[in-house]
Amino acid sequence: MRHTLSILLQNEAGALVRVAGLFAARSHNIDSLTVAATNDPAISQLTLVVHGDEDTLEQILRQTRKLIDVLDVITLSLVGDTVA
Amino acid sequence: MNAQPLKAEIAADHHPLAGQPMTGAEVIVQVLADEGVSVMFGYSGGAILPVYDALFRYNAEHPGEGGVEPMPLIVPANEQGAGFMAAGYARASGKVGVAVVTSGPGATNMVTPVRDSMADSVPLVVICGQVARASIGSDAFQEAPISNIMGACAKHVFLVTDPGRLEVTLRTAFEIARSGRPGPVVIDVPKDVQNAALNFRGEGRLPIPGYRARLQTVQSAHVSDAECATFFAALEQSKRPLIYAGGGLIASGASAALRAFVDDFGLPVTTTLMGLGAFDTTDSLALHMLGMHGTAYANYAVDDCDFMLTLGARFDDRVAGVPDKFAPTAKFIAQIDIDPAEIGKVKPVHWHHNGDLRLTLDRLRQYGTRHGFRPRQDGRYATWHAQIAELKRAHAMNYDRDSAMIQPYAVIEAINRITQGRAVISTGVGQHQMWAAQYFDFREPRHWLSSGSMGTMGFGLPAAIGAQFARPDAVVIDIDGDSSIRMNIGELETVTTYGLPVKVVVLNNVGDGMVRQWQKLFFKGRFASSDKSLHRKDFIKAAQADGFEWAKRLENKDELSKTIIDFLAFDGPAFLEVMIDPDAGVYPMVGPGASYAQMITGDCIASRQQVAESEAARDDMF
Ligand SMILES: Cc1ncc(C[n+]2csc(CCOP(=O)(O)OP(=O)(O)O)c2C)c(N)n1
Ligand SMILES: [Mg+2]
Repeated sequence: MRHTLSILLQNEAGALVRVAGLFAARSHNIDSLTVAATNDPAISQLTLVVHGDEDTLEQILRQTRKLIDVLDVITLSLVGDTVA
Repeated sequence: MNAQPLKAEIAADHHPLAGQPMTGAEVIVQVLADEGVSVMFGYSGGAILPVYDALFRYNAEHPGEGGVEPMPLIVPANEQGAGFMAAGYARASGKVGVAVVTSGPGATNMVTPVRDSMADSVPLVVICGQVARASIGSDAFQEAPISNIMGACAKHVFLVTDPGRLEVTLRTAFEIARSGRPGPVVIDVPKDVQNAALNFRGEGRLPIPGYRARLQTVQSAHVSDAECATFFAALEQSKRPLIYAGGGLIASGASAALRAFVDDFGLPVTTTLMGLGAFDTTDSLALHMLGMHGTAYANYAVDDCDFMLTLGARFDDRVAGVPDKFAPTAKFIAQIDIDPAEIGKVKPVHWHHNGDLRLTLDRLRQYGTRHGFRPRQDGRYATWHAQIAELKRAHAMNYDRDSAMIQPYAVIEAINRITQGRAVISTGVGQHQMWAAQYFDFREPRHWLSSGSMGTMGFGLPAAIGAQFARPDAVVIDIDGDSSIRMNIGELETVTTYGLPVKVVVLNNVGDGMVRQWQKLFFKGRFASSDKSLHRKDFIKAAQADGFEWAKRLENKDELSKTIIDFLAFDGPAFLEVMIDPDAGVYPMVGPGASYAQMITGDCIASRQQVAESEAARDDMF
């Protein structure tokens, strides 16, 4: 199952690496990742596409929410059921 | 996502030094003083010199009674030692441990203790020097990408690029280290930031609204009446309830709450390695440790229970090697944890609460009492309590007491007879660690300091040093292995340099005993690299060379108890090497991939069933 995650992140040194590193360390492949500015220069928005089952997704979401600079994590949509 | 204003921020009238010009280094030292730091551990070097100098001046200008330094800096042989000293200090005291090291190699030597503290939820603040901002990324002398490296290991890492944010960053680091599920926070401070001319503010923290909001939610999470009702409805049905408690109970200071809960409701308690001491192991309802090397009676009780209350524990692979077969007859599993990611991570649970353990246990106890749940009075657990007592009697820990060789278990028992569960015990990693966990009593929390999740050899000696600083009057004993102690043996000198009365015991089985145990079981006894009979070290000479006045080798079983009495009675640092039976094993053992029912109990502990030892699957996981 493919999932699109939207993460609001404080724009701190190394914040992006910590998010990407968390996914790598927990064996999650990121299919795509975009970083966008928001109207608050202190906050950026990451959009990630990942695949995995519901339980694995739930666990990585919870781990992501433990990162200090993460403001919010939401699952935007579930797209199809094929593995990219 | 609104951050709650913190009490400190509202209350901070005016810091007496507010507005004073200070260098970055002086700011760092002042915040450490404000945070109540009374000792720190570290090793100097070019990129951290300004901080060391500021600390030197601070200590000279603020002498305490009798001229003692208010914030002494304890110097190890290796930065890894400093990290484990800070961790030992934190584990023994519950306060944040502080380490200060230089850039590059100083900081990379700190990686292991930081990861170890993360894995065992130990609060640390580690300050690393870094090359000047202009040199970052240029492969400068002693430059290492610490924020990348530590970011993967720590609870959080800050690279201070804006001197104006140095002060608030430091204060925030302490807040993050000690709040929620505690952990290590690393602050990487470029040298030019340490030298920057600043004005001290005396207040303020970084906005970390996401973290604070989530913390606030968890800390104020209330167990509703309906949730309490569900919990007690299940407990009402239970005939054999059991508490499985982990390190979270100690981290959250919930031991007294657990005691009250058990006093009222009579649930027996088993703890993880990390939870030892959370509940007095000498209590009649205590089952000591569960898991791979847990007591047979604890593991059988897990197999027998029909209700499990999990407190600050995470079903890790040393406890629930096969999650499906863990507590197989429990019809109801409840879990309370401060970390939302641990709820149901390994094993689905029927009831959970994501919140503070102490508050939650008190809330449940009050609800139960108010709603007439009085198992102590109505005697509903009488049969279960009798069964627990019988399990403890029939499957008690035991070993070959008639052997001519010194048995390691006997050494621990002899020490325990004198210390009575009141000593602070640290360990290396291996068989000796498991024997210490199994054969010592632990009457209180924070008396057992061991690298649980990472299993880092070399932890024991520096952790004991840090613990002795936290508890100057306590008896602190490092129970170490001949291989583990080699890893940080340089710290023997640190013990004598600072005149610490640390007691060091090396259970010498001439090698990596735990590795040999696995090689016996799973590699047909081929002792690849685990035998040290050709190694030449004379531990006694080594200890003496480092200034231990009391350093003895015990080889004769008849002298065991006299030697131990003498050793513990020595007023000062003492080193005891005990030549133990090299074939002594750790039993019971639940092999990798095996269920508790398949536990091997060895020759001296009664098993409930005969199990073919070879059934345990071979496994890569060590
Ligand atoms: C830093 C580190 N390296 C390797 C290991 C793997 N390991 C686990 S126990 C052990 C042997 C420990 O020997 P010793 O300290 O003498 O303890 P014993 O098992 O003999 O009591 C080894 C090598 C480890 N846990 N930590
Ligand atoms: Mg050994």
